[in-house]
Amino acid sequence: MKSPSVAAGPSTRDIRVDFLRGLALWFIFITHTPGNLLAHATLRNVALCDATEVFVLLAGYAAGIAYGRMLERDGWLTAAARIVGRMGTLYVAHIFLFVVFAAQVGFSAAALNQAAYLDELHLDPFGQEPYRALLEALLLRYQPHFLDILPLYIVVLGLFALALPLIRRPAWLLGMSVALYALTRALGIGLPSWTGGGWFFNPFAWQLLFAIGVVLGRADPAMLARRLPWNRGLAVLAGLLLLAIALALNLVWHGPVLGTYAPEWMAAAIATVDKAGLHPARLASVLLLGWLVAHLIPRDAAWLSHPLPAVFVMMGQQGLAVFCAGIFLSFLGRLALEMAYGPAAQALVNLVGLLALIGVAVVSAWYGGEGKRARKPSLPAAPGTVTP
Amino acid sequence: MKAMSLAPASWLPLLVLAGALAWTPARATDVACGAPVEAMEAAPMAGVFAALSHTDLRILVVGSASTQGGGTSGRAATWPERLQSVLAERVAPVTVAVEVFGRRGTTASDHARILAEQAPRLRPHLIIWQLGTVEAARGLPVEEMAETVQEAVARLHAVRGERTDVVLMDPQFSRFLRGNADVDSYRDWLRIAAAASGAQLFSRWAIMRHWVETDRLDLERAPTAQRVAVADRLHDCLAQAMAEFIMSGAQRGRLPRN
Repeated sequence: MKSPSVAAGPSTRDIRVDFLRGLALWFIFITHTPGNLLAHATLRNVALCDATEVFVLLAGYAAGIAYGRMLERDGWLTAAARIVGRMGTLYVAHIFLFVVFAAQVGFSAAALNQAAYLDELHLDPFGQEPYRALLEALLLRYQPHFLDILPLYIVVLGLFALALPLIRRPAWLLGMSVALYALTRALGIGLPSWTGGGWFFNPFAWQLLFAIGVVLGRADPAMLARRLPWNRGLAVLAGLLLLAIALALNLVWHGPVLGTYAPEWMAAAIATVDKAGLHPARLASVLLLGWLVAHLIPRDAAWLSHPLPAVFVMMGQQGLAVFCAGIFLSFLGRLALEMAYGPAAQALVNLVGLLALIGVAVVSAWYGGEGKRARKPSLPAAPGTVTP
Repeated sequence: MKAMSLAPASWLPLLVLAGALAWTPARATDVACGAPVEAMEAAPMAGVFAALSHTDLRILVVGSASTQGGGTSGRAATWPERLQSVLAERVAPVTVAVEVFGRRGTTASDHARILAEQAPRLRPHLIIWQLGTVEAARGLPVEEMAETVQEAVARLHAVRGERTDVVLMDPQFSRFLRGNADVDSYRDWLRIAAAASGAQLFSRWAIMRHWVETDRLDLERAPTAQRVAVADRLHDCLAQAMAEFIMSGAQRGRLPRN
């Protein structure tokens, strides 16, 4: 990504970022398919953060590169208009997924005898007031489970459109972002939800992770390496810290079944780490992981071009299409796991799911993806694969 | 942990192995309708232990719909009522009194209010707190639920000390609930809240999932004509499993935790 003023060609693209993004998208598909056994092998089982943090950080990274370049070339108004256009696309995608979700719930309700003993499910807002629920969904005030990442992304992009000119002054951008984050956490600012309790992900807190991604994406890699150098002692400490957190988490979750009990202070400490407001420990966790990975995987690692990792690289490059397809596929996976269980059903759901995600990435890359279609023909084709 | 994100080719087989391991059937006996043994092992329960060396064991149940009916043939068939009968047989001549404060659609904060009112009055040796389903179905903030539990249990301990044990009970297993609400998060946070407050978790979810996967009891797939009978059987089996859990905690008595 060189220095900000130099347009980066495809050869300078950091495919490690695409690879990790692809991995995060796969994890999001897995964890959005409840009952999927692979969910026990995702990031959230061993770290305070999960694929959502990775996704938002890397979305900021890609947005910093794509829209930063657009800002320099076409000015704030044009770049901001493009971001608003992207928000519109995301909004339509979200509403489409909402409709699919509602249909899936209706199908499951008819197929399973749920009313007999879970009469609490009648309290689900969509079942009680479907017309009102539809309106609230359009206002983004009603977000059923598994449909809470896109609304977050939409609002964060809106904030980014406003703050876009600050991209030339990373210290200012970060400073204002941190200030908003601190204010949000201190005063409990947030967006209201129809069901009460505010949005599942508070965008005013989560924007910080996106902003950090933007600044990292815009920074000159050589400068980054100087500012955040490799330090063996620090890396060992970081590794031990992450390992200790992984052990503590698993002791609290799985200890009792094995007859071992975590000390109360340990569980109490974990209980303070909230996801909605992006607790500082979650933020630190994902940044620490990012620093380790950035140094442990060389930029030109040969294994990244092997077929299997390359597939994830491609998925990461077609981020939005793969994300939406993943959420859509997870609804189908859920239906499949409702009807059958056992190793065969698990293997089938995961195999078909992953192959479908790869298929979406391949098709999307083939016909050019979102970025290319909307671009004026006079512009260079280099950033065509960037889909923030 | 880091290695996971480093070389995907090498950890893919590990994932498969982990999946295979997770599939290993849980240890089960014919006690309590074949519920998994590890789900019925409790940490020491000092309150119940003390009660059993006297004349009566007082249990307070608070929760939502399943404590009140939950599709059974009537009040007498619900798990709290069945628990009283099952336990009474096992601990005689000690008498067992179960008081139920449940209402459909109630949340953790409603339960906390009930506990604050009733616990000083009833001075229970054991509180069984069933929660999580309403929160998950409505998508209420999961951290708030955990906080409510921690505060309520801390208040109880301040008033009752070691004389009251607290057991949290998670939602009933349901494919429908699993597919449409983020139940796993709520279950995770219940585990954390229990561990943080010195309460215990009785995982109704894990036990019922085991029954479904071993084709023993599957209310969601029961033919309409048999629904009530299956619900009665389910509640009876749950009561037996809970009784096993309580007895295991009582037998460990005063042993220090940790």
